[in-house]
Amino acid sequence: MDLVKLFNAFPGAVSQGLVWGIMAIGVYLTYRILDVSDLTVDGSMATGGAVAAMMITGGADPWLAVLCAFLVGTLAGLVTGLFHTTMGIPAILSGILTQLALYSVNLRIMGGKANTAVNVSKYSVLVTSRNVRLLSADNPIVLLIVITAVLIVLLHLFFSTEYGCSLRATGANQNMARAQGINTKFGTVVGLMLANGIVAFSGAMLTQYQGFADVQMARGAIVIGLAAVIIGEVVFGKIFHSFWGRLICVSLGAIIYYLVMQIVLWLGLNTNDLKMLTALVVAVFLAVPYWKSQIKPKKRGA
Amino acid sequence: MKKILALILAVCLTIGCASTVLAEEKTYTVGILQLIQHVALDAATQGFRDALTEKLGDRVVFDEKNASGDSATCSILATDFVAAGVDLIMANATPALQACQAATVDIPILGTSVTDYATALDIDNFAGTTGMNVSGTSDLAPMQGQADMLHELFPDAKVVGMLYCSAEPNSVYQINLITEMLTGFGYECRNFPFADSNDIASVTQVACDECDVLYIPTDNTAASYTETIANVTIPAGKPVVAGEEGICSGCGVATLSISYYDLGYATGLMAYEVLENGVDISTMPVQTAPNAVKEYNAEMCATLGITVPDDYVAIQ
Repeated sequence: MDLVKLFNAFPGAVSQGLVWGIMAIGVYLTYRILDVSDLTVDGSMATGGAVAAMMITGGADPWLAVLCAFLVGTLAGLVTGLFHTTMGIPAILSGILTQLALYSVNLRIMGGKANTAVNVSKYSVLVTSRNVRLLSADNPIVLLIVITAVLIVLLHLFFSTEYGCSLRATGANQNMARAQGINTKFGTVVGLMLANGIVAFSGAMLTQYQGFADVQMARGAIVIGLAAVIIGEVVFGKIFHSFWGRLICVSLGAIIYYLVMQIVLWLGLNTNDLKMLTALVVAVFLAVPYWKSQIKPKKRGA
Repeated sequence: MKKILALILAVCLTIGCASTVLAEEKTYTVGILQLIQHVALDAATQGFRDALTEKLGDRVVFDEKNASGDSATCSILATDFVAAGVDLIMANATPALQACQAATVDIPILGTSVTDYATALDIDNFAGTTGMNVSGTSDLAPMQGQADMLHELFPDAKVVGMLYCSAEPNSVYQINLITEMLTGFGYECRNFPFADSNDIASVTQVACDECDVLYIPTDNTAASYTETIANVTIPAGKPVVAGEEGICSGCGVATLSISYYDLGYATGLMAYEVLENGVDISTMPVQTAPNAVKEYNAEMCATLGITVPDDYVAIQ
């Protein structure tokens, strides 16, 4: 009986994982490709949610709303990029500054209200947690998988272009890239814009999924994003080596994150301890690659 | 792969339904989703549990979940309850209610500690009932009573400062209501929103400099940092009229208070009606707090040299 409860709860965890997987792909672009720790995402995800909520409740088409959320997200990335490249502020601090500013921006977007409801019964939305256990095409999991796949294909195509390659080179070795005549500053800005656009897009999806946008909705999002990236790498890194494969890893990582959370809840953990447990899970996944590297040399010696 | 998953799900659902039918004695599972650990919300949850336990004894099982302040966690806990097929969900605070409402149209949801259901659920022409699987209790403080109280205690004040957290929609809602009432008395109202605990002290300082009296609504953030606020208002000699007892006992002089325990208790009685008597939740009007009491903070009043009328009760 109990196991049934767990299985019943899996679709919810998977769809939430897919939404955060999109966000984690954005984090992957900055954290792994550009080699920049971008903390803007805590703000830009809520920005995406706010934009989508206001547009959808204003009667706009939900596809148009998520597109606009993406565009506004790129602006957030632009600000962080400019802080970093033209003002010489370290990347982490630039992100924190933008994130801070976005709190006020998000309030402005939502007309001074901290919370905007997007009632699923009233507006047409792309995904909703209400249909999460339907066995039909209305199930949010279906659309989220399609969107994730399209996103990965688009990113793969973009990063295969000459410009995309120069972006990857920027993250891999900035000095070398600069020596090749690549404008690394411009590249960093473009990367941050793209990443935050994706993050805002996922915020827009989350808003529709959970039925509201809240000014605090993405507080701590970066932790989930990083966790997804790391978990994906640790668990599936051996299977996927290509660029698009890595992005699939990230999405799967986010799903695993939420499945683990679900299992832990099912085991009866007091939800007051959830944050500590989350931190421990991420710490363990972060530690695994290190432990592996510690063990390997010994084996060779023996 | 997807087909297999779907099959497993279908089987699980069937087993789940079958076993519910087998359980003949009417035992109810009630999911409680609380937004954050907080004195007022905890009290409401406790009141809810006490009311239902009193009515149903051990025929009710509670599954209590706390989202620790993460609205995204609310969503996953809500879909959890739906997956587990609980008989009723009690959603404590606005984002919790929204997440539950997005997750199900079938399971009855009772909200509490939600101030304005029309805004929280985006209902046009709200007239007491939601018309869907949602009802509950509103923690809207008796605003006119609070405005009257402020006027009774401080008739000579000119400027009233509204101190609240900009992240809390309920606070903004109350501020808008009471501003209208206070302006009617001839006061000038100024807003002093703060974003989080970091800027409370400085925002409070500005408010003290510009105003004669401060008003704090039922604001969760302010409730958590009453000491910080008191440390500014006491040296400045500015009195604070508070929206609820918790804030008042920390930094206020007086309040017209509602009890969150009573509010939760009233919600529990509504749950009993839905579960045991089969009342249609979509026709149940949203209730407000049963009774409000004029209270004052004796120590604070003595410090600031304020005397309150006799019908005020000192906060213990």
